[in-house]
Amino acid sequence: MAQTHAAQPEPADQATVHHHSARQRRRKSAKVGELNLTSMIDVIFQLLIFFVVTANFMVDEGVLSAKLPQGTGTPTASTELPREKIVIRLAADPSDDALVSIERGAPDRPIRYTGFGELAADLDRLRFDPESPSAEGIYDADNPVLIEPTGSVRWQHVVNAFNAAVTAKYTNVSFAPAKR
Amino acid sequence: MSKVIQRGAVAPSMNITPLIDVVFLLIIFFMLVNNIVSEETVDMILPELEQPQTRELGDVDRVVINVAPEPFTRKGRESFPLTHTGTASYVKVGTGSGSRYEANDLPGIIAKLEAIKAQRPEIEVMLRADGAIYYDQMQPIMDAVRAAGIETVNLVAYMPDR
Repeated sequence: MAQTHAAQPEPADQATVHHHSARQRRRKSAKVGELNLTSMIDVIFQLLIFFVVTANFMVDEGVLSAKLPQGTGTPTASTELPREKIVIRLAADPSDDALVSIERGAPDRPIRYTGFGELAADLDRLRFDPESPSAEGIYDADNPVLIEPTGSVRWQHVVNAFNAAVTAKYTNVSFAPAKR
Repeated sequence: MSKVIQRGAVAPSMNITPLIDVVFLLIIFFMLVNNIVSEETVDMILPELEQPQTRELGDVDRVVINVAPEPFTRKGRESFPLTHTGTASYVKVGTGSGSRYEANDLPGIIAKLEAIKAQRPEIEVMLRADGAIYYDQMQPIMDAVRAAGIETVNLVAYMPDR
């Protein structure tokens, strides 16, 4: 279709002749009518709407960046005092997949949390912030935070714990090997 | 002049040729984009976060690792997305043929990641995993990323506005 358009101005006679004949043909078959494009347009619009709706380009996905810990277990020699890790232990609830037990601190005297929002708030309170009025935090922002889930904890809870530490503005968060 | 008369004679009709051209172009565009995007990702239900801190991954060289769940229907997991078997069905590293690995084929995954890392030293990993996958399935894969010499892994979850 575009070709006939482009060819029109240059070979004037040919184009007009071609046009005339086409029009005559059309006039002769005026009863039959032109090629009915309506149904084709309907189908094309259906296809267009289908692909527009199904294309989502992963717009609702985002990322949390994590630095993975070095594989060797031996600590590097340092003159600094060794820092106490913040260990967050997660354990699956066998009765309900959506539930998880969240603990922090020593295994014999754990601090339990009911949700990841509470965990994030407590971690934020524990972080030393020179600008906060109370400045009661005892951990630096780059203090290591270790997330220690059991093997059967769902990935969503692990990412949620990571997200809680990021919410509390800790910068050094890592994952422990799965324990049984 | 004669044109005007002729037009009056036949029933007036709109020229819809350019419309059809444009619509066809749009269809082809969306078909292609759809295929390219779905080539990189596997259908899964990502982790749902409380107060998500997720952000868009900027303009970095990336490879997507998909940890696919066992087959599921979205309707079946609508209200309890975590009630699903936690074992990984397979792992897909990047795109193209040979990107699909068994979940326990760690040497294969490490070799693939090392080959990618050798060609593209600045590579970052996007780790897409279903929210219901068990941690003991994920941890070896993160170890494999580390073993391939890649330090940054980006955990994929839903964005805050969802």
